[in-house]
Amino acid sequence: MVRYVLRRLVVSVPVLLIASMVLFWAVRKTFDPVAKLRQSQDPQAVQRAIEQQGLDRSLPEQYWLWLRAFAGGDWGSSSRTGEDVRSMIVHALWPTAQLAFWSIAVATVLAALVGVYSAVRQYSGADHFFTGLAYVGISLPAFWFGLVLIDLLAVGPRQRFGLAEPPLYFIGLHSNGQSGFDLDYLRHLVLPVATVSITLVATWSRFARSSMLDALASDYVRTARAKGVPRRRVIWRHAARNSAAPFLTVVALDAALLIGGLVVTEQIFAIPGMGRLFFASLGSGDVFVLVPWMLVVAAAIVLCNLLADIGYALLDPRVRLR
Amino acid sequence: MSSSHLLPRMKPRVWIAAVSLVALGACSTGGGAVTDRSAAPSARPVTQGGSLVIGAEQEPDCADWIATCAGAIWGTYTMQVPTIPQVFDTRKVGGVWAPVPSDMMAGEPQATMQGGKQVITYKISPKAVWSDGKPISSADLKYTALQIRDGDDIFDKTGYDRIEKVDTPDAATAVVTLKSAYAGWRSLFSVYGVLPAHLLEGKDRAAIMKDGYSFSGGPWKIASWQKGTSVTLVPNDKYWGDKPKLDKVTFSFLPDTSAAFQALKSGQVDALYPSPQLDAINQIKAGLPGIQSQVDPQSGSLEAVWFNNAAAPFDSAAVRQAFSYAIDRKAIVQRIYGGLGVTQVAQSFNTPIVGAYAGQDFSAYQLDLGQVDSLMTGDGWAKGADGVWAKSGQRAEFTMVSLAANKRRDLMVQILQEQLKTAGFAMSVKTETPANLFSKITPKGAYQAGLWSLVDTFPDPTLSATFNSANIPSDANGFSGINFIRAKADGLDGLLEKVDTTLEVPARTEAAKQADAVIAKDALSLPLDTVPLVLLWADKVGGPLAINPVEGPFWNLEQWGIAS
Amino acid sequence: MTTSAPATTRPGFLRRFLRHRLAAAGLIILFVLLVACFGADWLAPFARGHQDLALGPTPPSGAHWLGTDELGRDQLTELMYAGRISLAIGLAVAILSTAVGTLLGAVAGYLGGIGSEAILRLTDLFLIVPGIAVLALALQAFGSSMITIVLVLAALGWTYIARVVRGQVLSLREREFVEAARGIGASGARIIFRHLLPNLAGVIAVGISLSVAAAIIAESTLSYLGYGVQPPQTSWGSLLSQAAGYLGTPQAYLLYTPGLLILVAVLCVNFIGDGLRDALDPRGRQL
Repeated sequence: MVRYVLRRLVVSVPVLLIASMVLFWAVRKTFDPVAKLRQSQDPQAVQRAIEQQGLDRSLPEQYWLWLRAFAGGDWGSSSRTGEDVRSMIVHALWPTAQLAFWSIAVATVLAALVGVYSAVRQYSGADHFFTGLAYVGISLPAFWFGLVLIDLLAVGPRQRFGLAEPPLYFIGLHSNGQSGFDLDYLRHLVLPVATVSITLVATWSRFARSSMLDALASDYVRTARAKGVPRRRVIWRHAARNSAAPFLTVVALDAALLIGGLVVTEQIFAIPGMGRLFFASLGSGDVFVLVPWMLVVAAAIVLCNLLADIGYALLDPRVRLR
Repeated sequence: MSSSHLLPRMKPRVWIAAVSLVALGACSTGGGAVTDRSAAPSARPVTQGGSLVIGAEQEPDCADWIATCAGAIWGTYTMQVPTIPQVFDTRKVGGVWAPVPSDMMAGEPQATMQGGKQVITYKISPKAVWSDGKPISSADLKYTALQIRDGDDIFDKTGYDRIEKVDTPDAATAVVTLKSAYAGWRSLFSVYGVLPAHLLEGKDRAAIMKDGYSFSGGPWKIASWQKGTSVTLVPNDKYWGDKPKLDKVTFSFLPDTSAAFQALKSGQVDALYPSPQLDAINQIKAGLPGIQSQVDPQSGSLEAVWFNNAAAPFDSAAVRQAFSYAIDRKAIVQRIYGGLGVTQVAQSFNTPIVGAYAGQDFSAYQLDLGQVDSLMTGDGWAKGADGVWAKSGQRAEFTMVSLAANKRRDLMVQILQEQLKTAGFAMSVKTETPANLFSKITPKGAYQAGLWSLVDTFPDPTLSATFNSANIPSDANGFSGINFIRAKADGLDGLLEKVDTTLEVPARTEAAKQADAVIAKDALSLPLDTVPLVLLWADKVGGPLAINPVEGPFWNLEQWGIAS
Repeated sequence: MTTSAPATTRPGFLRRFLRHRLAAAGLIILFVLLVACFGADWLAPFARGHQDLALGPTPPSGAHWLGTDELGRDQLTELMYAGRISLAIGLAVAILSTAVGTLLGAVAGYLGGIGSEAILRLTDLFLIVPGIAVLALALQAFGSSMITIVLVLAALGWTYIARVVRGQVLSLREREFVEAARGIGASGARIIFRHLLPNLAGVIAVGISLSVAAAIIAESTLSYLGYGVQPPQTSWGSLLSQAAGYLGTPQAYLLYTPGLLILVAVLCVNFIGDGLRDALDPRGRQL
């Protein structure tokens, strides 16, 4: 197991290296690193920056220099804000991680419940109802849900009942000056987490349903039933447990994509996470943030994929990681 | 989603006597909601204490105001104006915006010509102190002037690059000598303000200021700047003028306009200063219960169609004029801003905040397809079977570059396209990011026509940056000139130089108006409208709220409070 | 001798597909949408992009069934022309990414060895780079036109189907009918196209329907972020995001119609995909 993990990590290094090379090249070809300076009215400023940052060298040479500094922990500074790139990314990771964590937690539980229920009551009214909901969930973009939820759950109630404050907040993850896990945090979390979760629950519940159906049709469940094991116990102890491995694999794989994929939600709910950092950097052509950003996200995806495999092995004793 | 992308801060402009007074658009449009759209300042009595949250649609990149990383207008609104003292404030005098000496000064600074050099004497008020109690002194002016003149990474050195020396005969007197006449001298220490020498001299200014600083020479201090989230201001106890009524003001950064409106409706923010996107306008029209609003059409932001005077087909004056007759500017403004009660078409490239210098010459261009026909046929064009003008095998087709992700501008482009089609021009559209447009495309002249805004940040005219042929981007000026339209017209350069160097007000105004006439005659470009300013606030906010197009809506934040 | 053992026969396929009532309904509705959108030049009540600035936005009425937008354009007409772009993007992305994915997946699965390894590593690479970031970067570099959006979405989408197809081919290539074909000396290409791919019809059908839906949604999200098709071109996504700010105003009708059409179109392709899978691959199960 340990050897497997180590091997996987070693194998992913060249993939990340190639990715970094391609991304570095693509980003530099797309943007002029000193575009912002060019708008200033000091012609020498551009020249100075080019010399200081070695931008007059060949691209492979620049890549090598950048890679060496990056590996050594010096990620450079942003051309947009002048801040240290590493601290910018670290600061952006935290809100995104919180949002992703709660969304995944909520969506996993809901999807599992809906999936198991729908599978057990296959073709019942409830099953069809959940199927219909899932279709709607995957058929509309997240920003639409976000805006409608804000209107329905925050602005609407406040206006209708003349409240001083909306029941749920939708700016950031905390009120100003607050922090920690409290009611204020919860009131901030509900809407963005719901927005992200809708699509996740819709997709995952379908998957949970089908792997549950597989498990219910398997020999050991039939055997258990034949032996007279109580229905509830069959469903949860035998079937659900055995369908957990493939379900959680899908969860982990999709979760990996959330790290960089919460752009729209972060935008609407003013959460200073990775997505907003990316778009701010993209808009101003901040090449010094874009490349490290993509690499960090790529590394996070690699890690999540690995976790998915390990989780699968732990949950399903038939699988051996070698 | 929504920030209006503008040209970087333009060179500032000097003030002069009053002329045309554009009445504030007092308007009301339908809806029985409790909104008050009159532009008369709301002056509700307030209580002492309390705090407010204000939505800001853009986060500044840094707070080192003189560096290239600054230049975002929201930085000026939220942190610079409340904390950095300046020599001239922009205030309304007799109906027009004008520079007025601030309370940091002991009197109006005097400028005189001495042997071809301009000498300006500044007297600082003895009451003016920094937040650490040290007096604001002539050393601060000297430090600021030299940082900007000699600095490495300076956003805009206009004016400061003429400084020969700064003398400090005593702590309260600074004497600045300029190498040549500079009519726009009032912008010195007014757009950038004055920085504290005793805290910054010999230190890394950028490092101290970039992420927010603790000193202040204004009514507020920056208590914290949480990147990506908010900026919080608290009163500066040492401020020598009126102290703030509120205990705390927080600016929350809300990048999504739709969500920002909902935040105002839900009471999570108490005021908004949205860029007037159509959805914003519709929200206001629909009526926002419990929310007050003020609309001011007199802004410093001018939207215009910019012709590349060096590229076909707009290298021909006749084609530019025909284009100008093909557009129904009145209908466009009516459609886009009519909901706010704004119907005024821009008839000069001098925005309302330098209205004193503006002519009305572009008013000659009104929708007139007969004029289009005679101008085009006179220039050798003939309409082809497809209804598009053509001349020696070349169709009158062109691409309009515009800035991406601005819904209002998208619609404007679509209106232009439709109107031009009727007049026999085939226009296609290309959208660009501001970085790309202003650092690659326009300096190289790689476009035919474009739609973007020109922004004035001080009540002083400097069209020479945009229209003087010496400022056409070229090797000679290191491609730093911003005459992106490659304008060249007989006599125009001389007139614009006169505007830049004439200290006498009447002569300067006269030259500015003559320049306006030349620009309009050849239709070097076509002004469309000035983007109106909108301020929205919840009922609980009190005080004399009024938009200041230069310093922003929060220029008198110290007088805001919770309505009693 | 070309009949490969488990491939399906036509009449059975059609019967099974039509028995799937939702799939049949989806097919009919999608057909109506396609005709309405691509026949807009003849069917639309108003000329394309016709503006009436004096009229401005009006709610649905007899003259304008779905109302008019900011510039007084007929919303129904706008939706028909916008649907062209949305549906074209959806279909083009699906066909392109499925074709590339199926081909590379089948080759990787059938050949094995270095070629297979190279294709696998390539999919790894695509899997780890953040999709939305690459998407926005590419659109920034090449400009957001319909063609670039299609190419970029397809470039990001092909890996999923490639992995699925490879897995299927790996198991199929050991089956008797493939062995038999190989035995009589059929070429690799012939085996892949005549014997393997027909057996993957179910997987491919699902892949296509999923990617049509995903592409339409992705395009609307891109529009919201400002990287969708640029005006004067419009898509349902761009109409939807343009109207997002009208929530809570009398113009909210502009927000609901494009959303409804996206919903309907995506539902239709999903139902059709389900129907196709059931019809083509009787052993497959409901997902």
